[in-house]
Amino acid sequence: MNLSNLIILFIVIPMGTGVLGVLFKYQVGLMRVLGSLSLASTALLAVGLLIHLRSHETGILVTQMGAWPAPYGISVVFDSLSGLLLAASSLVALGCYVHSFSTVSAAAQARYFHPMVQLLMFGVNLAFLTGDLFNLFVSFEIMLMASYCLLTFGGTRLQMTQAYKYVLLNLVGSTIFVIGAGLVYGMTGTLNFADLARFVAERQALGEDLPTGFTALSIALLLVFGLKGAIFPLWFWLPDTYYTANVSIAGLFAGMLTKVGIYAIARTFPMIFAHGGSEATKVVMPILAISAAFTMFLGVLGAVSHHNIRRILAVHVISQVGYMVFGLALMTQIALAGCLFYMIQHMVVKSCLFLCCGIIERHTGTDDLDRSGGLLRRDWYLALVFFIAAMSLVGLPPLSGFFGKLVIIREGWDTRWWLSIFGLLTGALTLLSMLKIWSYCFWSPQAAAVERPAGESPPPGSMRPAYAGATLLVLVALFLGFGAQPVYEIAFRAGEQLADPRDYITAVLGPESLDHLAGRDLRSPAELAAAARREATP
Amino acid sequence: MTISSPVLRNSMRLILPLTLLYALFAMLKGHNEPGGGFIGGMIFATAVCTYRMSHGYAAQLRLLPIHPRILIFLGLGLALGTSAVPLLLGHPFLRSAVGEFHLPFTHHPFHYASAMAFDLGVMLVVVGVAVGMITQLSEELE
Repeated sequence: MNLSNLIILFIVIPMGTGVLGVLFKYQVGLMRVLGSLSLASTALLAVGLLIHLRSHETGILVTQMGAWPAPYGISVVFDSLSGLLLAASSLVALGCYVHSFSTVSAAAQARYFHPMVQLLMFGVNLAFLTGDLFNLFVSFEIMLMASYCLLTFGGTRLQMTQAYKYVLLNLVGSTIFVIGAGLVYGMTGTLNFADLARFVAERQALGEDLPTGFTALSIALLLVFGLKGAIFPLWFWLPDTYYTANVSIAGLFAGMLTKVGIYAIARTFPMIFAHGGSEATKVVMPILAISAAFTMFLGVLGAVSHHNIRRILAVHVISQVGYMVFGLALMTQIALAGCLFYMIQHMVVKSCLFLCCGIIERHTGTDDLDRSGGLLRRDWYLALVFFIAAMSLVGLPPLSGFFGKLVIIREGWDTRWWLSIFGLLTGALTLLSMLKIWSYCFWSPQAAAVERPAGESPPPGSMRPAYAGATLLVLVALFLGFGAQPVYEIAFRAGEQLADPRDYITAVLGPESLDHLAGRDLRSPAELAAAARREATP
Repeated sequence: MTISSPVLRNSMRLILPLTLLYALFAMLKGHNEPGGGFIGGMIFATAVCTYRMSHGYAAQLRLLPIHPRILIFLGLGLALGTSAVPLLLGHPFLRSAVGEFHLPFTHHPFHYASAMAFDLGVMLVVVGVAVGMITQLSEELE
């Protein structure tokens, strides 16, 4: 059996489970089992393939849909970048999904909740795997469609208001995206990432100009991806949206959705739009750098100023996205690896914090910091999980956030030291905001008991799935901290694949596709300078 | 929403079978020409909904006695199943089997592709979604 045909299972499994969910709409128990199995199996599959690919020659698996050859058909590509993200997103989804058993009401669960989670994962997995720009658009749409439904579960007035803004904003984004994809096709005659990378590399190697307007086009796409990824100044939709959704779903979104936007930048810019010393690079890189600084710093200032757990966590998502954009703005092999590691650790840790927030809300009946307290005595286990996750987010040494930040800040120190200073400052303020939650919720004495309306208190044992979900994610976060070495090996390989697109192009288009560029180095000037620096300082 | 018009009721007797037949035709010719499962499904759903307008909801249920949700399930399942079968045979996802066979009493060979089953699945989904949506909306109106 050809292994590369199997990568399509990442798409078939969640879609198949979603389809079954339509049939078994009212069999909530059965769907919970099937849904968890589907997410667990995609996670295992991703981890298994990653381990298998460590000894693989190129480390890239490709399958062509319907056996139509590459630039004409649809390519599905599994490389180290997509593999790590698939593994992390499936695990995060599993944690949040299990958590939702205790937070999503039974009535909502029987209203297509389960198929929607699976279809969301269908879209996310497709986005990570697809090898062309148009299918990236399609997967964004699938993902957004499912997210619109998940966002409004409950159907309160506030949710509808926020969802309306979210839908409108994303419609604008999608429109620009599809126009951009059309223009890309018009300018280059292809939408396939590998073919686009080949087109750009070829032009540069032969000293020819890129088509007029290519820079403007890349900015338009950056706008779209930045909107999904919530980078400065396109973040304004995020805090309110995550604030109104159900807490498990907010955890799922916080882990997944912004990262898909960042992934799209990481996939298209180093290889295609900002590849080499093109004019687009000179425009895009400063934009990314400045936006990274603002995203990091203003995001964390927002988090410090809020006084409400969910808002703090939601605004924090923005600040953390800044670190990833920081890694992208350097665009060297190591910075991209750091960005990838930071992405997966942030997915896990941030979702875990949201899941903890769900349990805190259940304990105290509110997410207002002033009205909660004394949780350390009431629930030491929750305190432990929260503390580990919060310190991972801050980046305290043996925990996962440290390794992500270390690599990015260290790599940025030589070329963009001011960004590194912003990064360090943001880390300190992150600590402050996390300690705020910690001291108000866990350390302070018990606040006056919140009176609950009669009949609303949950039956004992109903929170067990919530603890299970949070525990799963905190274990993954601990693994990312203590087992950073093997994960970083894969991340470095992903950085290599992005910085030097040769492997990706030949894996998708076939070994002859680069013959006429034989011997030319396809790495960007920034990457070459970084490589020279690395050799100079052993 | 039912319109009690004898003209509509009587002409539906002719329109309905013709439209359903045309939907099938559009679906089948989609293999090489404009058409396909989506268009076929839309035409089918139009016929069902017009029938509902002239004869009422009960008549529609007699015509299409399956819940739209089940139609969507069947359609998606058929499409996904057809695309996944090649995986078991060691081919890439969505690979279509093509070939020709001779029907008795005809001269022309019949060209088939397993992608047709995929198209039929698409058609079922479109019928399910369109009919389901209109049923929901008209329930709210009534």
